[in-house]
Formats: sequence, structure tokens, C-alpha cells
Amino acid sequence: MAEVEETLKRIQSQNGVQGIIIINSEGIPIKTTLDNASTVQYAGLIHQLVMKARSTVRDIDPQNDLTFLRIRSKKNEIMIAPDKDYFLIVIQNPSD
Amino acid sequence: MFTDEAQEPVSIRSAWRTSQQSAQDSIGCQTRAVHSAEAEVQTLSTAVSWTQTQPHDEAQELLLQPAADRLDPPGLKAFLQRVEDTVIRELDRNGRSHAFDEFQVNWEDQSQPVSCLHCLQHPSAQERGLHVTSVSWSCTGSVIACAFGRTDDGDWITEPSCVCTWNLDRRGLNPKQADLVIDVATAVTALCCHPQQPALIAGGLYSGEVVVWDTSRTQDPVLVQTGMSADSHREPVYQVAWVPLQKAGEFGVLSACSGGRVLLWTGDLNEGRFVLNAAYALVPQQVPHSSYVSFKARGSSTVGVTSLALSPWDPDTFLVGSEGGLLLRCSFSSQTPAAVPSEGHNVTLRAPAVFVFRPRSGPVHSIHCSPFHRNLFVSAGTDGRAHLHSLLQADPLLSLRVSDSSVFQVQWSPSRPLVFAAAAAQGEVHIFDLGRRSLRPAATIEQGGADQAATCLAFNSQNSHLLALGRTNGTVCIWQLSHDLTEQSPREISQLEQIANQVAA
Repeated sequence: MAEVEETLKRIQSQNGVQGIIIINSEGIPIKTTLDNASTVQYAGLIHQLVMKARSTVRDIDPQNDLTFLRIRSKKNEIMIAPDKDYFLIVIQNPSD
Repeated sequence: MFTDEAQEPVSIRSAWRTSQQSAQDSIGCQTRAVHSAEAEVQTLSTAVSWTQTQPHDEAQELLLQPAADRLDPPGLKAFLQRVEDTVIRELDRNGRSHAFDEFQVNWEDQSQPVSCLHCLQHPSAQERGLHVTSVSWSCTGSVIACAFGRTDDGDWITEPSCVCTWNLDRRGLNPKQADLVIDVATAVTALCCHPQQPALIAGGLYSGEVVVWDTSRTQDPVLVQTGMSADSHREPVYQVAWVPLQKAGEFGVLSACSGGRVLLWTGDLNEGRFVLNAAYALVPQQVPHSSYVSFKARGSSTVGVTSLALSPWDPDTFLVGSEGGLLLRCSFSSQTPAAVPSEGHNVTLRAPAVFVFRPRSGPVHSIHCSPFHRNLFVSAGTDGRAHLHSLLQADPLLSLRVSDSSVFQVQWSPSRPLVFAAAAAQGEVHIFDLGRRSLRPAATIEQGGADQAATCLAFNSQNSHLLALGRTNGTVCIWQLSHDLTEQSPREISQLEQIANQVAA
């Protein structure tokens, strides 16, 4: 448990990080640094997006698979590291 | 011998007397038997169901927040160890990357920077040759109120004018006919809509009166007015503004006239009159010392106020621009009494000037404080330039050339921190974007010559892509601004901070 918290603290201390969410394979948030309402919103929307992105990559080339997803918007950037059981979502504002 | 004999009576039947008894028949009737049947119903199985709207914090149930002493889900630690390095590397690289610095995507389809949506006219005012002196949007953003009068006459104006409103969101918008016309006895020189109640409009008249109209009343729209009392202005009122008072939700009206007075009125709704709350008088002797201002006290005993601006950040500060080109920062709470002979005012006059900026050579027509930075404001006058000032220093930070003729109004955009618009006497309106490298305007609204001078403009704070422009030919044009003039880009606030911090030490 302590290692998990420490890892999250290390990520949080990077430049401009606004929030971290860890969701499981069903899209239910496990750990978060944001408030509940935002967390649930991010979890639901991003889970669907990652599934769609992954199926897109695998349809183009069945030997290929999704390793990382980045969404850049006007105000911030969302980075998603997918895995079999969990997704790690980090929201960063790069100009900070 | 003789014996008694008993003889039987003899009866003779009557021949004519018959029995009166009529014939008698016996008949009986009976209804047929009524069919009746009995049946019973009994429910065999029951089901109960009810509905209930889900409360919003249902979402909390989805969140599994393990207590501190519970174990993390299996594999979480291993997962994090796997991805941690990658994520930190990407975060670091992203923070240092300049790849997307100037990259902007335009989702809206805009071909022109500005396009004219409506051109509103009031025919009877146009026939009399009245100019539009002031425009103001209501707090809801759908109604535009325009004041008619004259801007060029030096004589005392006696002809009546009007205030017209148009509701742009209504379906049956007729550009040639106003939704509401309020007739006024003299020319209206200033107009301001209430920031919270859409029906109230404050106006300043050429005769020095300050009036508040209530457009929801059909009979007599005048709600409160100053009347010609000893307290009121004697000179044309060039600016009115709604000021929030001490009590939350209450507003007073601040009016500034060319007689050098700035008066704060509170409305007494029972009487229908304004009550003077505070009065400020500006005299040249009480203007703070500065190396620029030399006393030219002879001939001018008052500092005629031509423009006024309230600071949205500091409720105590207001800025005043004068006919002689002075630009002053004033304070509501100053206690110094003014050096003017008391003319029977109920409230003592105070001298509000605190700081003087570098003066201009002609009247300052317009001042506006930036809604995005507490120290910045822009001012414009007859020298054809727009000056960007900081409250902290006397010299302007930036002077932009707008046109060769005088500039009648400048206003900051409510949605983009670096954009402001300036209306010039030759009829063109320039929109400047301080984020661009060049000092030329980002967009220009061209129209007409000197007979169509643009006298006033107003941004719509609710629908930030609308800009209203009033002209001397009596028309009000509503222009639509394109996406990049109204959408804020990510670095604008920091660029504005940089400009504001150029204050010389």
C-alpha cells in the first residue's frame, strides 16, 4: 500500500499534473486525486474511449496493440496508460 | 174446535231484482323468475413495485474507496511499477515540449472576421437628424438599448429625443421599428443598463438630469429621476454607471457631468426621486501634484468630466477623464472636502482625486478597466490613439494609433483578455489584439465617411460574439465577431500579466 501511495505521489509531483485516476478493467475508479463527480465522469468516458482506440489499433493490424493514449485539448492533456487489469489516467496542464 | 195452524211462509221470488254482483274472474300474473348467478374473484398472485429518482450522489457507490488498512486490489502495485517509468517520462517530456505552442484548431467555420447581422434604425429619430449617443446591452444579453441625441452641437439642445430598445432574440425582429420607444424631453447623452435587473435603464440627459426608466411598466416608464433640484447637475451628464452599494443587491447610480461633479444617487422608489448619497467635485487646485500637470487655473474653475470608469476589481476606485485631457484615479472613500463654494448641497462635496496620469492634449472620451487584470485600463481621446495604462504608473504602457481623427469609445472584450475595440470619428471601428506581434488592428469594421462617425460601441457580455455600434446617422449596427476574436486561447492571461508587469520600477 505504501508503495502504491508513493508511486502516485511521485507522479503527482511532476510538472503541471492536475489529477490522477486509476480505474479497473470495468471502468470503476479505484484510486483518485480528484473529486468524486469529476472522477466518475472521467472514468466512464475514458474507459469507452480506450476500448474504442484499442479496437481501432487491433482492427488495422491484429498483431498490434495499444500501448499509450494521449488526448491534447486547449486547456490540458490527458495521458492514459492501459493494461490488462487497470488503466492509469493522468491529467496534465503542460504550460504550468 | 178451533186449533192454531202454523203454515209455512210462502216466498215469491223477485222477478226483476237480480244479483248486482258482477262477474268475477280471478287472474293472477307473475314476472318470470330473475336469473341470478354468483361468481367470486380472488387475486391469485400479487406484485408490488415503485419508482424513485436516483439522488445525485448515487455515484458515490461506484467509487470503491478502500480504507487505509484494507489491502489494495491485487496486481495494482505490479501494474503501477510497470507503467510508472513510462508515464513519468512522458509527463516530463510533455512539460518541456514546444510542439504545440502555436498550434490552434478552429472548429467553427468562420470566413470573415466580422460580419454585419442587423442594422437597426428608428425612422422618426433619423428624420430629425439625431445621432446615436450611447448604446448598452441589457444584463440578459438579448436587448440593446440606444439613446438618441446630438454629439456635435455646441448650443443648448431643446428638441426632444428618445431611447429605443430592440430585443434581438425575438422572432419578429423588425430593424426599422423599435420594440420600445421612450420619449424624453431633451437629448440623452449617457445610458447604462442595470447589471442585474433587465428592465431598468439609467440615463443621463443633456439638461443635467439623471433618470431611471423601468421598461416593464407600460404607463409611465420613468421610475426615479433627479429633477432640477439644488443637488443635481447643471451641465450635460456624460456618463452614468450603476455602482454596487454597501448592502448586497442594491445599486446606486453614479453620474458625471461636464460641470466637474461626480454624484452618487440612491433611488427612493416611493417618492420617485433620487436622493444624493455622496458628491465629489473636481477642481484643478485639488488635482494631485505631478510633474506633468501645470496649473492653468485661470479660466477653468472646474474639471469637466467627460468619461468615467468603474474598476470591477476594487470597489473603491474609479477613473475620471476630463475635457482638458486629465486622467485621474479617484477614490470613493476620500474624505478631503472640495474647495468649491457650497451651493446649498445637502451632502458635503469631497475631492476624490488620488493619482494623476500623464495628461492628453484633448478631451478624454472614453476609459475602460480591463475585466481580466486589476491594474490595466485603456483610454482614448481626440489624439486618435488608444493608450494602455497601468494603475501603478503615470505613463502609459502602450500607445496604439487608432486613426487620424478622434476616438470616441474604447472597450475591452469580455471574453478575450488581450482584445479591445476602438470606435473612431471617421466611421471605422478597429479591433486590436495585443497578442499579435504587429500593432495593426486585427479586424476593422469599415463603413462610410464623416457623416457616419461611430460614436459608441458596446460588447455583449452574455453573447461575446456580438458587438453593437452606434453611428451619427442614427443607425445601430450589430456585428458578429469571428471565433478567434472571441475565444480565449490558453496563454492569454499570462501574456496580459507580462504586459501589465512592464511597469517601470
